[in-house]
Amino acid sequence: MGAVNWRGLWTLYLKEVRRFLNVFTQTLMAPVITTLLFLAIFALALGGAGRQVAGVPYIEFLAPGLIMMTMMQNSFANTSSSILIAKVQGNIVDVLMPPLSAGELTLGIAAGGVTRGLMVGVAAGLAMWIFVPLRLHDPAVLLFHAVNASLMLSLLGMIGGIWSEKFDHIAAVTNFVITPFSFLSGTFYSIQRLPETWQIVAHFNPFFYLIDGIRYGFIGRADGAIALGLVVVPAVNAFLWLVAHRMFATGYRLKP
Amino acid sequence: MQPRLATTPVPRSFGPVNWRGVYALYKRETVRFYRYAAETLAGPAISALMFLAVFHLALGGEEARPGISLSAFIGPGIVMFMMAHGAFEGGSIPILFHKMEGMITDVISAPLTPLEMLAGYVLPATTSAMTVGAVVLALVAVFVDLPLHSVTAIVGFAFAASLLMALLGLVVGIWAERWDGYSAVETFLVAPLGFLSGAFFPVDNLPETVRWIFHVNPVFQAVEGFRYGFIGQAQTSLVLAASVLAGMSLVLGLIAWRMLAVGYRIKP
Repeated sequence: MGAVNWRGLWTLYLKEVRRFLNVFTQTLMAPVITTLLFLAIFALALGGAGRQVAGVPYIEFLAPGLIMMTMMQNSFANTSSSILIAKVQGNIVDVLMPPLSAGELTLGIAAGGVTRGLMVGVAAGLAMWIFVPLRLHDPAVLLFHAVNASLMLSLLGMIGGIWSEKFDHIAAVTNFVITPFSFLSGTFYSIQRLPETWQIVAHFNPFFYLIDGIRYGFIGRADGAIALGLVVVPAVNAFLWLVAHRMFATGYRLKP
Repeated sequence: MQPRLATTPVPRSFGPVNWRGVYALYKRETVRFYRYAAETLAGPAISALMFLAVFHLALGGEEARPGISLSAFIGPGIVMFMMAHGAFEGGSIPILFHKMEGMITDVISAPLTPLEMLAGYVLPATTSAMTVGAVVLALVAVFVDLPLHSVTAIVGFAFAASLLMALLGLVVGIWAERWDGYSAVETFLVAPLGFLSGAFFPVDNLPETVRWIFHVNPVFQAVEGFRYGFIGQAQTSLVLAASVLAGMSLVLGLIAWRMLAVGYRIKP
């Protein structure tokens, strides 16, 4: 074993991936169906009469945001449930005992969440493509935001999972933090509809840059500045990575 | 014969109905519901507000029907959506959990008839779902100017819909052997029933070819009946809606009762 325990890291990653693939009806198919249902109700409620948002048909405006939302929710669910279930059931020792550093633990678990996020994103995107004409305006920006969004929510899920001691706690994080931030991120409407002050507030929601960025990647239109997103998103991720790393390093709520 | 000691438990006698047993089951599930209020109550409440917010922000100021604001139209729909989902979860998760953890033996070995067991699982799910509805409604009413037309329709349809979904949940909970099976039903049946119920948009704008899909959906009937209690108009006849809900509840109730009576996937 050299400076990095590659074998251990790979094993941890495989465990994380196989964990969600084993129950793919819940982890892959359910999100795709839910996303299509969201598309259906918003298209039926709002898509009629040739409604346009900022010069784009509403459904084309909506689709990229929905893909992003489901990626985010699933990345978060993957890492948070993995850690919390392991903690509650006691098998977290199997992850903490092996010779894996805090960095390797963070990377292995985050990579599992990113993998789920990207897989759900691709599946949801393909399913939507049947109903919505999706374009690829800028694949590089699209991929950047897809990976960074999955990583951000994986790290948040990890931090939430480590912090939580009961399923109640993670449910509270989901209900009071993740759900509001993702619903109010500009997925369903252009933030230009908001009053001036709320537009500024919206810019403090990191999810806004993710939704806006991936929409730019698909349709080439953004509410905010794309360059700002390219700076803010990696900065937030770097900060979250440090927090998660510290938690593993100190064993906060992980080691007795 | 040995003398009975003061501490020897005496078999409790009860009449034709074991009310105490039913109440014990009822109380257990209700306590469970409140214990996980962060998931069972706060979750639907926050989601409901989020739905309301995004529809308002995306469409604000428009009318769903002449004279009825979009929010007043969607508000009751969201309440019913959350209630129906809560009732399904409340009806299915406890019995599936009890089966998987082996605790179902505590219920089977208790002196309860199948009908009493049915009541012990379905009634708490029904009342818990109505509690969810009341909380969500109170929150919605803070932000939306809701008219009030008929309290009878509101309470009646809230109860009928909660009962139906709780019974559906119980049948699914008995049938499912793992979370996978349960999750498949929730994804492919319950989520579409809820989303495609006309809770979020008026179905009268839809083409005729699509509209029938909504009319055969019992949640659609529930949403329309419940909404009638607020705005005083419905896309379906109230008698039809009530009959559909009562009829389907009866059928599902019979199925669940037979399942419990023969011990389908419950007894070894």
